[in-house]
Amino acid sequence: MEEQKNQATTEQAEKQITLTDRVVVYLICAMILCFGIAFFVTPKKDFSDNENRTLAKMPELTWENVKGGRFTDGIGTYAADHFPMRDSFLGIMTEAERRSGRKEINGVYIAKDGSLIEVYDAPVNTEKQIAQFTKLAQNVENAQCYLMLVPTAVSINAEQLPKTAPDELAQRREDVITIQAEKGAYRPTQKGIIRYIYAAMPEEMQNIDVATPLKQVSDRRLYYRTDHHWTTDGAYVGYLAFCEARGLTPIALEDYTAETVSEDFYGTIFSKLNDTYFVPDTIVSYTYPAWDLTVEYSDSKEVTDTPYNPEYLTQKDQYSYFLNNIHPMVTITNDAVADGAIAVVKDSYANCFVPYLLAHYHTVYVFDTRYYKGGPSKFINEHPEITDVLILYNMNTIDNDTGIGGIY
Amino acid sequence: MVFSSLPFLFFFLPAFLILYYLFPGRAKNFVLLVFSLIFYAWGEPVYILLMLLSSFVDYLDGILQEKYGTTLFRKRLFLSVALLINFSLLAYFKYADFAVGIWNRLTPWDATLPGVALPVGISFYTFQTVSYSIDVYKGRVKVEHNYLSYLTYVSMFPQLIAGPIVRFSTVQEELHQRTVCESGFVRGMKRFLLGLLRKVLIANQIGALWDTIRVADGISVATAWLGLLCFTLQLYYDFSAYSDMAIGLGWMLGFHFPENFIYPLSATSITDFWHRWHVSLSTWFRDYVYIPLGGNRVGTAKHLRNMFAVWFLTGLWHGASWNFVLWGLYHGILLTLEKYVWGKGLAKLPKFLQHLYAIVIVVFGFGIFTFDDMAEMGQYFPQLIGLPGNALIGQELRWYAGNYLPFLLAAILLAFPVYPWFQKKLAGANAYRRNLYTTCGALLLIALFMVAVASLVRDTYNPFLYFRF
Repeated sequence: MEEQKNQATTEQAEKQITLTDRVVVYLICAMILCFGIAFFVTPKKDFSDNENRTLAKMPELTWENVKGGRFTDGIGTYAADHFPMRDSFLGIMTEAERRSGRKEINGVYIAKDGSLIEVYDAPVNTEKQIAQFTKLAQNVENAQCYLMLVPTAVSINAEQLPKTAPDELAQRREDVITIQAEKGAYRPTQKGIIRYIYAAMPEEMQNIDVATPLKQVSDRRLYYRTDHHWTTDGAYVGYLAFCEARGLTPIALEDYTAETVSEDFYGTIFSKLNDTYFVPDTIVSYTYPAWDLTVEYSDSKEVTDTPYNPEYLTQKDQYSYFLNNIHPMVTITNDAVADGAIAVVKDSYANCFVPYLLAHYHTVYVFDTRYYKGGPSKFINEHPEITDVLILYNMNTIDNDTGIGGIY
Repeated sequence: MVFSSLPFLFFFLPAFLILYYLFPGRAKNFVLLVFSLIFYAWGEPVYILLMLLSSFVDYLDGILQEKYGTTLFRKRLFLSVALLINFSLLAYFKYADFAVGIWNRLTPWDATLPGVALPVGISFYTFQTVSYSIDVYKGRVKVEHNYLSYLTYVSMFPQLIAGPIVRFSTVQEELHQRTVCESGFVRGMKRFLLGLLRKVLIANQIGALWDTIRVADGISVATAWLGLLCFTLQLYYDFSAYSDMAIGLGWMLGFHFPENFIYPLSATSITDFWHRWHVSLSTWFRDYVYIPLGGNRVGTAKHLRNMFAVWFLTGLWHGASWNFVLWGLYHGILLTLEKYVWGKGLAKLPKFLQHLYAIVIVVFGFGIFTFDDMAEMGQYFPQLIGLPGNALIGQELRWYAGNYLPFLLAAILLAFPVYPWFQKKLAGANAYRRNLYTTCGALLLIALFMVAVASLVRDTYNPFLYFRF
C-alpha cells in the first residue's frame, strides 16, 4: 500500500512542473555556475580587511592531510572564506535574521539603542591570567603594580541589552552569584570574574575598580556602537580611576583639544554582521596643547611626534589611529614633563588610554606581550626610573588573548 | 562530502551534472560511479575500501547463488557467509567499542577499547547490499552480473550516506535502462533545492537553538520542552531534507527512490508515525526481520518476541549506545500497547487529541535519542517536570522562542501537509490568482536560495547528524 502511495506522490510531482518552475530552476542553476566559475577566476586575498582576520589558506595536498580529513575540511573552509562576494553574503544573512526578529546574530546582541554588543562567553583561562598577573607583580622589584580590568559594553551598558538575553538575565541576578556558582550553575558576568581575579591578587598588586565609575556615566558614549573598544571618553573615565588609585591630580578633559577625526567608523563587531542598517561611529581624539612628544616604535624604528596616526582613518581599521595598531613596545617621551616613568602592559584598550598618561610622566613604555618577548618585568627592573606599572586589559578579549602568556 | 556544503553545491554538483548529461547512455553509469567514489572518498579516503569489499561480497554471493546454488543447503551456505561478512564488518566498525565497554563493565577482565572510527554511511550501505543477498536467495530479484553496475547501485552518491535505503530491486531496471530527460532534471532540481532550504534554513537554525538550550543553565519546564521540540524538528528537517535532496538528485539522473518521510510529525498515533518516519528503514526491518520471524501471525508470546527483536535492533541501528536501544524499545512498547491495549480507544478520540498524544510521545522519545551521555540526560530530564525546582515558565523562554519565532512557526507549519493542500487549492483558483501565487513562490524560492548560500558562506552551524547511524 505504501508503494502505491509513493507511486502516487511521484506521479503527482511529475505533473506539477510548470514554466515558472523551469525559470526558477534554470536561474538558480545559472547562479550556481556563475559563482562556481567566479570562485576560480577571482583573485584571492590573504587577509580580510572587513573581518580583520587572516583568511584560510588552501590546504596542502599530502596523504597525511587527506587521510585525516584535514584536506577536505580545509577545502570547505577555504571555499567559505574566499567565496565570491563573501562580505555581501554575510550582510544578506544578517539582514535575513534581523528581519526575522533575531536579537542575537552571530554572537552579537543588537542593543536597544541600535548599538552592537558582543556576547560574553564563559571564560576558561581565568586561572592562567591570575598566575601571570601575580608573576609580574612579584617579579617587579622597585615599582608599584596596578591592575585595571575593564568591563566591556555587555557589562556597563547592560540595560541596553535586549530584554531577557542570557547576559542580561545573568547580570540581573549578579548579586546572588558566588564564584563557585559562576563556575557551575550560572552564566558568569564580567563583574563577577573581575571580582574573582582581584580577590586572588597578591598584596604587591593594587587593583583599580573602573566598573563603578564607568557605570555612573550616562551622558556620553563610553563604548563604540560597532566596535569592541571603549571610546576616548570611556578611556578618560579609566584615566580618572587610575589617577585616584595612584594619587595623581587628573587633568580636566576641557583642557584637551577635542577633534572629531572620523564619522564613518565601522568597527570589528560590525564586521561580524556587515549590514549597513547599523550606523557608523564617530571617533573623537583628544590632544593636550602642552605635549612635546617623541613616539618611538621598537620594531619599525619609526619615530613620530604624536600618538595618533591619521592615515588609518581612510582605512577599514580606524581604531589603529591610536598608537598605530600593534607593536611589541612603544616608547613615548614627553619633554614637557621633567621626570617620572610608567610601564603599561596592555591590550588594544590602552591604545586610546595611554595619551592621557603623557601629561604625568616623562616616559611611558607600552608593552604588547603578544609580540614582546622576554617578559616586561626584566625590562622594568633594568630601568629603575620606572615607578609605576599599569596592567590594562578588557574583559572580553582577555580570555583568548595569547599575550597573557607573555606577562611575567 | 555533504549536500549542504559549498564544495558540493558549487563545484561537485555542476561538474558532475555537466559530465553526466554529456556522456551517452551506458557511460552515464560510469560517470556516476566515478563521482560517487570521489564523493565518498572526500569524507572517508580510507574506509572507501570497506564499502568496495562489502559490496563485492554480496555481488559475489549473487553470482554464486545463481551458478552453484543448486541445493537449499548451498544457497543457505552462500547467504550465511555473505551475511556473516557484512554484519561482522558492521559489528566491528560500529559496535566494537560499545561491546568491549559492556564486557569491561560486566566482567572483571578489562580489555582495551579498540577505538575504531565509524565509517560514514556504513549502516545505510550495509543494509542495502545485504537486502540484495537476501532477495537473491528468496528469488525476489534477478542476479546482477556486472560488478560495476552493482557497485554503482551501492555507492550511488545521492543516497549513499543518509538514505533512503534503496533496495536493488527498486533500481535494477533503471540501472540498465532509464529515461534521462529535461523535465526530470527540472523536477529533481526543484526537489533538491527545496530540500536544501529545509536543511539550511530550518534544520540548521532550529538546531542552533537546540544547541543553546541543551547547555543552558536553570531553564524552566517550558523551555526544556521547547528544547526537545527543537531537536525533534531539527532531526526531522535535517533527515527528511537529506531524503528530499537524494530523491531530487535521483530524478535528475533518471532514478526513482522511494519516499522516506511522509509528514511523520502529523501522525495521529505511534503506529501511524512509523508508517511515515524513515519509511525505508522501518520497511527494511519489517521485510527482513519481522516477517521472517513470523510477524504478527503467531501467538502473542512470539509476537511480543518479534516486536522486541525488531525494536531493539531498530534502536541499535541508530548508534552504538544504550540510549538508542532505549529509544527503540520505548517505541516498541508503545506500538505493542497501541495494538493490544488502547489503539482502538485512541482512534475514537478527537483528532486534535490524537495528534497531541503522538507528538508528545515522539518528542519525549527524541529526548532519549539525543542524549547519548546518560549523565547529561540525567541533568536535562528532571527539568522537564520541574524536579530541580525550576519555574514552569521562565523569562528565558521569551528570549529563546522570541529570537526564533518565525523559524519555529514555519517548521511547525511545514511539518503538516500544507504545501500539497495549497497546491490543490491553487489548482482550483482562477488563472490570475494562480499566476500571482506561482510568481511570488518563484521569487521567494530564489531569495531563500540566496539566504541559504549566505548561511553556508557564514559557515557557523552546519552539522551532519548521521555519523552515528
